[in-house]
Amino acid sequence: MSGLKFVAERTGDGAGQPFLDTDNGEELMHVQPGTAVVLGSRPPESPGTLYITSKQVVWLSDTDRSKGYAVDFLAVSLHAVSRDPEAYRDPCLYAQIDNGVEDGESEGSSDEGDVSSDLSRITELRLVPSDPNQVDTLFQIFCDCAELNPEPIEEEEEHNWIFSADQLENHEAEEDSEWMISQNSTHPIGRSNGDHDLAHNVLQLQINDQRFEDAEEMDSDSKNGHHHS
Amino acid sequence: MLFFSYFKDMVGREVTVELKNDLAIRGTLHSVDQYLNIKLENTRVVDEDKYPHMRSVRNCFIRGSVVRYVQLPPDGVDIELLHDATRREARGG
Repeated sequence: MSGLKFVAERTGDGAGQPFLDTDNGEELMHVQPGTAVVLGSRPPESPGTLYITSKQVVWLSDTDRSKGYAVDFLAVSLHAVSRDPEAYRDPCLYAQIDNGVEDGESEGSSDEGDVSSDLSRITELRLVPSDPNQVDTLFQIFCDCAELNPEPIEEEEEHNWIFSADQLENHEAEEDSEWMISQNSTHPIGRSNGDHDLAHNVLQLQINDQRFEDAEEMDSDSKNGHHHS
Repeated sequence: MLFFSYFKDMVGREVTVELKNDLAIRGTLHSVDQYLNIKLENTRVVDEDKYPHMRSVRNCFIRGSVVRYVQLPPDGVDIELLHDATRREARGG
């Protein structure tokens, strides 16, 4: 999974708009002009416009058409309204980004110097609308969009918490069957009796077959006998 | 769906949600959806010094896929009921 991405291209005139993947149903849900973005502990970047689509959050600079950032809702682990002036001077929407980097992983390969790889290490994001009353609206839109973006099925099998729940249930089922097996193996005599019974049944079937054949033969014999006599 | 209905019954109770990034947030369970996305109110971060940015946060939305544990109030856990429900679910019924 990738975290924050750099957006160097956009569509339309003037400040432009982000490209949407309309073929895969991506729709624009909300536009918030006059929004500053704060990446991690970097200084705020503004002026800019926030675009919330059904798949991702995109911030585009109003003055530099080659500058913008985007993050998929799949990578937004948590979002919250932040109003404490001690934490940040303006009310803002705070989000944590899952960049898919394990804690130990980030240290070894941090000297790439590439802008995009630096961005992928960002785990915190603040969106600061010029109208502080919009923060709650943004929070609600983020909630709605998170629900539009559940984990993809193939991801579910490895990472999703729902799978963990399934796993627990499977484990429960396994425990059940293990219990059954151990119940059986603690009574080897019973099982051995069972095997004997099975062999006995097969033997009986064979006997029955023979009898049946005999009966047929006897029947035909008797028929023949009738013809003979 | 078992845990979805289970958590829905816990709405309004005080829980602690531990994320896979080790952040633990205590708060009142406001809502949960079918993907086990969790909304908390009156939140506080358990280890505030480690996560200073979360100090100001009073409500938050947590993506279900990043949740590691949800600690429940002990009196909110009916072990018998949960046991029965998990067994039923395991049998696919």
